[in-house]
Amino acid sequence: MNQIHNPVPLEWKSALMLTILTVAGLAMFSWPLLIPVRVEDGMVSTSPFIFIAILPLLVFLVLAQISEKGMDAKALAILGVLSAINAALRPLGAGTGGIETVFFLLILAGRVFGPGFGFVLGCTSLFASALLTAGVGPWMPFQMLASAWIGMGAGLLPNSIFGRMIRGKWEILMLVIYGIFTAYFFGMIMNLWFWPYLIGPSMVGTTELAYIPGGSLIDNLRRFLVFSLITSTAVWDTGRAITNSVLLVLVGLPVLAAFRRTVRRAAFNPEITFEVTP
Amino acid sequence: MALRLLTPRSLHPGAWWAWAIGCAVVASRTTNPAILGLLISVVFLTVILRRGSAPWAMAFRLYVYLACFIVTIRILLRIVFSAQGPTVLFHLPTLTLPGILDSVRLFGPVSAEALLGAGISALQLAAMVVAIGAANALANPKRLLAAVPGALYEWGTVVVIALSIFPQLAESFGRVRRARQLRAETGKGAHLIKNVAMPVLSDGLDRSLVLAAAMDSRGYGRSMAVSVFSRRLTSVLLVVSSLALCVGAYGLLDTGFTPLWMGVPMVVFGLVAGLVGLRLSGRRVVRSRYRPDTMLAAEWLVLGSGVAACVGILILGIFQPMVAFPPVSPLGWPDVSILAIGTIVVLLLPAFMSPPAETPSTRVVENPHKSVGFLGADTQNGGFGLHHGENWGENPSISVTQHHNAMVLRGFSPLGVNSGEICVRGNDDSL
Repeated sequence: MNQIHNPVPLEWKSALMLTILTVAGLAMFSWPLLIPVRVEDGMVSTSPFIFIAILPLLVFLVLAQISEKGMDAKALAILGVLSAINAALRPLGAGTGGIETVFFLLILAGRVFGPGFGFVLGCTSLFASALLTAGVGPWMPFQMLASAWIGMGAGLLPNSIFGRMIRGKWEILMLVIYGIFTAYFFGMIMNLWFWPYLIGPSMVGTTELAYIPGGSLIDNLRRFLVFSLITSTAVWDTGRAITNSVLLVLVGLPVLAAFRRTVRRAAFNPEITFEVTP
Repeated sequence: MALRLLTPRSLHPGAWWAWAIGCAVVASRTTNPAILGLLISVVFLTVILRRGSAPWAMAFRLYVYLACFIVTIRILLRIVFSAQGPTVLFHLPTLTLPGILDSVRLFGPVSAEALLGAGISALQLAAMVVAIGAANALANPKRLLAAVPGALYEWGTVVVIALSIFPQLAESFGRVRRARQLRAETGKGAHLIKNVAMPVLSDGLDRSLVLAAAMDSRGYGRSMAVSVFSRRLTSVLLVVSSLALCVGAYGLLDTGFTPLWMGVPMVVFGLVAGLVGLRLSGRRVVRSRYRPDTMLAAEWLVLGSGVAACVGILILGIFQPMVAFPPVSPLGWPDVSILAIGTIVVLLLPAFMSPPAETPSTRVVENPHKSVGFLGADTQNGGFGLHHGENWGENPSISVTQHHNAMVLRGFSPLGVNSGEICVRGNDDSL
């Protein structure tokens, strides 16, 4: 991708830190499956709460590295405007049958503006909307990271296949498939890290949906999938997948065109050169 | 002195967050329903007495709904998915799910112990949620942004732009709607996307480029020259500290298999490296602050009460474990000790000993469209330093309001970004 078309370029150091954050973040989201914690008096140990402190720190460190060279003011302004639009879209669907209006714009922006921009937009739009709706809490870093991944993933989707540019309806088809995948991914991963606390730990054999501390990976995974299927996947995540698809089909093409026009007009990070005129 | 302590003003947001986190820690370190109930009522009382009338203060009820939802859902889930125990309250018919889920049994006998256990752990979570809601209601989120470290300056700017532009979207929507009415467009359904949503989006994107030009010309987003060595050191510190934090987080988990050095020492090392890295990285940003948030006596009191309550509940857990963690079975009333009550009373202090929030009794100087004048910080005379009379033209986007003993002049640039808020306080100490 041309430098001029990339508002938030990722150097190799930023890419390295993003990789560390992604691996560590996935482990922190899925700790109930990976890490055997102790049980005290029938309560799951609260030591995984340490993630609530560590995760935002890691996100901050990565953001500091990305902006280490200073940022183009145009990138900041566009990020600000899109975060505001996303924050305005978020309450539109909140609480009505899993209609989630945040992700389609995130996917489209990540697709056009690149993975770095998608990552930052995921963080800033969730943060801005948390401030606007007074929704700051321990869940916020997890939401920020999950939606940052969604924006980054959209930026990493292939631009061309077999030498042919993916544009028009094929691009929309690819984004719809990605949107459906992220809808279920987001739902699952947001359930997973909190699952042991929401439903309470299992006394052996009583609750079929509960987390067994120190249980085998397969067993806990099966329990989690049953829990998730019953409580959220069937309704919330499917609603989110449908919302994503419908919005992407309806407004995908014009929004992509508007974003691409902005990219051309903006010319990010221009190379400044001085020449001696003869 | 007492009068000064209780003069209405908004506290440093960090103080209220520290207090709320203290409440959450207390809730997480006890399973005594009496202590939890007292804690929740203390949080409610504090919010009712000390919140302002800002929009974020009104969001507290959402947290209360969430807390009620958590309690209900956990008790219901416990009833649905087997609530066996010694003292059976009533019987429900047992159901077995068909197909691959045949190992799942639903309903059956419901015991008091199971309900109590589910209710208490839900009450713990509910208390934490309510405490976080209290912090959101009491602390000003915009002042929280002022505490963003220099290394994250750009991203703080992004959030400030987002928050300031947010009301602009409604205005943009209104203009598009008026244009449609003028053109007598009546399209509905999918037409609305083409004729309303897209113009608002394009408008926002175009404006962002104009805003960027304005920011560039004022030197936003520009950074100081920093030596190559310093930049390399910063990057190394950031990478090392994130690795150390990951290892340390794993070490802190209560697994019983990790060596001691992987826990606290690793986290502390990661924290120090990260903070030094952030500080180094922040050196390239030069900012001036004309309205710093300061920690005064009231802030320390609020913060201290949170810390003291944390210490109190830890001591309670060590010396009176039967009070902090009373057994669910056999059934009985939970014990409460002086120490437990004291811990809760400490958390109650900010409700009475901290200044109340500023009420929006802001008085707009008559006809702000015209009478806005020259602004000079005329603090030597103890005056407000705002001279009326001089005309700044017919700019309706500048307003002068009076907050108790301070004049506030707000200016909005045509871009809709809050281009400045200048607050001049009087010198008079008696106020």
